[in-house]
Amino acid sequence: MGDILAQGSPCNETLHAISLPIHWISNMSDSRDQLLFGKYYILLQDEAANTEPVNSPVQDPAKRSVNMSFNYNEGFVNSGYHDSETLELDRGQHGRPSYRQNSSFHHNSSGPPDGGYAGYLEDPSERRGGQRLMPINPVYQEFDYNQPIPRYQEPMNSNYESRINPVFESDMESPYIDQRNEKSPYMDSDLSEGDKNIRRRSKRQSALPMQILNTSNVAGAIPTEERHLQAENEKLIGKLSEMSEQDIGMEIQKLQISLNEKRGLRNKVIKVKARSSKGVSQTDCCSGCMYSMKKSYRGWRQFNSDFFTAFKLWHSTLKVIEGKFGTSILSYFIFLRWLLGFNIFSFLINFSFITIPQFFDLSPNNLSFSGLEIITGAGYFEETVLYYGYYSNSTIRKEAHLAPYNMQLAYIFTIGLYLGTCFFILLYSMGKSFRDNFINPSSFTGNAAKLLCSWDFSITNEKAVKLKKKYLSTQIKETMSEKLMEKLKLTMKQRVSRFCIHVLAWFLSCGIAAGCCAGVYYLCTNIDTQFSITEPLRKQAATLVVPVVVAFINLFVPLIYSLFGLVEKYKYPRHHTYVVIIRNVLLKISIIGILCYYWLHAVAESNRECWENYVGQDIYRLVVIDFIFVLLGSFFGEFIRRIIGTRCLKKWGKPEFDIARNVLDLIYAQTLAWIGIFFSPLLPIIQMIKLFIIFYLKRVSLMMNCTPPRRAWRASQMTTVFIFLLFFPSFAGVLCLIGVTVWRRQPSKLCGPFQELTTPYDSITNWVATIHVFNDAKWVVWIYNNLIQSVLFFYILTLIVLIISYLYLQIVRGRKTMVKHLLMQIGNEGNDKAFLLRELQKSHNSFTAPVIVPYEKLPAQASASQGTHDMNVINEMHSRLPSSGITGSTDARALAMMARHEAEREEQPPVNYGRHLRVNEENSDAADMVMRSRMEAESDSKQAHSSRPNSGVVAMRIVSDRGTPVVSRFWRGFCENLGIELLLLLLLFFIYKAPAYSAALYNRHSIDGLQYIEQHLTNSTRGDEALFP
Amino acid sequence: MGGSASQLSKTLINEYQELTYLTKQEILLAYRRFSELAQKESRSNIESIRIPKERFLTLPELKANPFKHRICHVFSTSDQEDGGMTFEDFLDLLSAFSESATLEIKSHYAFRIFDFDGDGVLNESDLEKLVNHLTGEEENTKLSSNEMKQLIANILEESDIDKDGTINHSEFQHVISRSPDFVRAAPSGHELLTN
Repeated sequence: MGDILAQGSPCNETLHAISLPIHWISNMSDSRDQLLFGKYYILLQDEAANTEPVNSPVQDPAKRSVNMSFNYNEGFVNSGYHDSETLELDRGQHGRPSYRQNSSFHHNSSGPPDGGYAGYLEDPSERRGGQRLMPINPVYQEFDYNQPIPRYQEPMNSNYESRINPVFESDMESPYIDQRNEKSPYMDSDLSEGDKNIRRRSKRQSALPMQILNTSNVAGAIPTEERHLQAENEKLIGKLSEMSEQDIGMEIQKLQISLNEKRGLRNKVIKVKARSSKGVSQTDCCSGCMYSMKKSYRGWRQFNSDFFTAFKLWHSTLKVIEGKFGTSILSYFIFLRWLLGFNIFSFLINFSFITIPQFFDLSPNNLSFSGLEIITGAGYFEETVLYYGYYSNSTIRKEAHLAPYNMQLAYIFTIGLYLGTCFFILLYSMGKSFRDNFINPSSFTGNAAKLLCSWDFSITNEKAVKLKKKYLSTQIKETMSEKLMEKLKLTMKQRVSRFCIHVLAWFLSCGIAAGCCAGVYYLCTNIDTQFSITEPLRKQAATLVVPVVVAFINLFVPLIYSLFGLVEKYKYPRHHTYVVIIRNVLLKISIIGILCYYWLHAVAESNRECWENYVGQDIYRLVVIDFIFVLLGSFFGEFIRRIIGTRCLKKWGKPEFDIARNVLDLIYAQTLAWIGIFFSPLLPIIQMIKLFIIFYLKRVSLMMNCTPPRRAWRASQMTTVFIFLLFFPSFAGVLCLIGVTVWRRQPSKLCGPFQELTTPYDSITNWVATIHVFNDAKWVVWIYNNLIQSVLFFYILTLIVLIISYLYLQIVRGRKTMVKHLLMQIGNEGNDKAFLLRELQKSHNSFTAPVIVPYEKLPAQASASQGTHDMNVINEMHSRLPSSGITGSTDARALAMMARHEAEREEQPPVNYGRHLRVNEENSDAADMVMRSRMEAESDSKQAHSSRPNSGVVAMRIVSDRGTPVVSRFWRGFCENLGIELLLLLLLFFIYKAPAYSAALYNRHSIDGLQYIEQHLTNSTRGDEALFP
Repeated sequence: MGGSASQLSKTLINEYQELTYLTKQEILLAYRRFSELAQKESRSNIESIRIPKERFLTLPELKANPFKHRICHVFSTSDQEDGGMTFEDFLDLLSAFSESATLEIKSHYAFRIFDFDGDGVLNESDLEKLVNHLTGEEENTKLSSNEMKQLIANILEESDIDKDGTINHSEFQHVISRSPDFVRAAPSGHELLTN
């Protein structure tokens, strides 16, 4: 089949298979499948053959068992093996006795195959009794139509795949069937052991339905089923064909089926579409035009995406890093790239709006260039566009007829625009990552996720895989010991001593930070007096003292902090990580803070000629020296350390790549760059070069010297923390600093765009005053006077924001309680389910055993403890089976199952409908999610409505037929669904919750959704009451 | 290499683009890689040959993956259950692992990869196998049975919402929806798509 499709020929063949389930049975020409048939044949060979002939050789069962055990050891699900179980299904009613053996084999399949096999050999002899061969066809049809667990696959496509692709199908579906057989509680008379089985089984359909469905199939339910199926197919195709070309592609992409099936589906859809469009209008040139436009748009988009992936900086390098070291280290590099983006943006904006206009009004530069200036930033650079002081305050007008360019306004607006953009970008990414990462941290410890999601599929390096395995194992072991440690209570003395150590460590670290600050401040204020050197070169060198000292502090104090870790003991190792990060941030921020204080107080209020230039140079030096120290740190900390670790002190091994330290370095550097943007508009270019080189340096250093961090990082959570750090102390501090500079400090009188003004902000006031005369610009003046200048406006704004935040806080709190309730309810449902199943089993054993058990019980297995009762059962079975077989009891069950089936079928369409709409929508994030979940909630409540009348009727019928056991069985089925539905609801609920943290827009929708959930809950409770008074 | 790439007809490439999350470049790259693997077979109809699992797993991107057999098994459409991969299976695999695939698709396939016995739920034995795959089977890394028990109990306690002793698909989705790392870690960073 694959060949046909691969050559691009139409998939009619595949599609034909839809209506011919038997088709694919014959497709499976594998010898193992023949064996199955063979087995089938052996088991039933003494039967009167009122069935389709099965032409397969009778094979040695031993061979088969070897086959199976081999496959099992491979760690695979051998679908052939499962098929064998499924094929036996139809004789479930008649040949159930042997099944016990078979399933026990399956059960013990992890053990030696011989044991199970021995049981298996007994089969033929045991199943002499009333056996009857059933047609194969209905079997397949049956599990085609009966979607046992629709949620395992997308319901809408499962119809297709089951017919088109045999392997896929057998892989997906057969397990349920074999589980169904295997786990049937009716087989296990042993209650205590059966308990687990019941629990396991509870999510699947009960065993009974399948058997009864057989009956119903035979009784003639097939045509309706088929019709229904076709209708459903058509519905899906119809829905698809209504969509645009692109939507079809997008939707089909989303299906979880293999390529062949996707293609088949698409071809069918296109065919339908072509037919319908032909039918409607041949001469619709508009649609043709649209079509071609869409096609060209698509092509353009494709080109675009290709282009951008090629353009994405370092894309392939990042892939390599990811493959070797995993996502946590990758996050560092992505962070770096992100910062680089910021700097490129700010460079572009500054260069084009400030520097280029200034080029038209250049003044000559008379200073000499010695080379040291590259590090100090002084001297020659003072008279360049690098610094604030060089920009003129004049209005640049190259020629008379061109519009004038006001440098003052350009300067202040460009900086303001850049900072504003940064603010919103940071806010947005912070909000996004908060929403993604802290959805519900309270109920989430992350253990399960750690395992289920821990494998970094992106790692492709063999060594890295080994390391990762080792780390994972140690980490799991650590977590386990942590768990045990938690129970281990510390003595009072230990606690007190720990507390003292913590306090002491904090005191020390704060003290060190304060000491460093004091030292830096002292150095700054006294540098001129201390080093009263007249020689210009040495004078320049003296300016480097402060930056070098700061860099040393940044390099070595963190090492001292990490030494505290030897004394300090934390309950959880990750607390240690966080504490170290907090201390380092404190240190860096306080040093930057003290420098800012120095600049704004000592420098700005001194009588320097051009204090902005001085500050700009200081920042320039800090940036450059920091860069040099990063290089040195990389060299000594990683390269030399690696050589020591691998040559001399083998115990040390290779150094780890310390993500936290490196990221903090980046944040520090970026803070400096932001501070400097006012005083030195072209500083971003330095930062760009710096980041660019750091990227390559770190990459090489990482590849050569480092190993991935031993502790697994929750990469995305750490990214959130880092973005937050970048926003809060760093960017917020920069805003404060620039705010003070713009509003409160007097610019130097002889240089820079704002000379002759009392504050830089006055330039805007003056500007507004000048445009006051123009009628067109009245609104600008109005806004300026009434909003920006007005204190009242800001009071009101703040008040409104506070009120909204408070309301949101309350909503979030309410939802938390709701989630708690829902979780509790699901737990209760689960308990109820288990309890009811146990009760049911009890009642089966005592009351209805003769009716139901016969099909599963085996004479040989009637245990001695059950003695006479079981003998009765067996007798009854013998008397019952050979006769026309299915008597009243089964009829009742058949009815129940048919009804159940109906109900299920009715469940499907709304779900499909919901899914379809889902696909239709844009991927516009949260609003979309809300709509989606709302849709689902709606369809869920529809389900509840639609299935209820049916179930009521059926329940009545069943009650009249058979009495309580059947009802309780039905109730159990209902319960199962309820459990799944509730789970779904919970999931929905989380989807609701997520956006609630971020935006007001979705509020109304989510309240609607909540109402739906509540409605649904009341509906289902009402239904329960109706069923179970 | 252009020669082998040109064997893929334009319509076919378009079709693949429409049906998978891959871009044209990626499809061509995949095709090149696949035809390199299929050297011994006739080169004329690369699309239709099926590469046996053993050879397919020599791809450096899969070689080291502890779940490589499972991956092959899940994506293979072979009738013989041998995990043989056709070119289209390969594209399916790449599409599911590509960065643009939705979380639903990823979780669906991840669930199937982790569902060792294929019964539609992750039960204790599945989890045990999963942990063993993760930690490796060597003596020094393997967990003791006691630890394993505790671990599995922890996992189930946390993720088994309806308390039936297994993790079903929706519960699995629930867990990973709370773990954003999954989206980033799950895509196999198949280097073949970049270099």
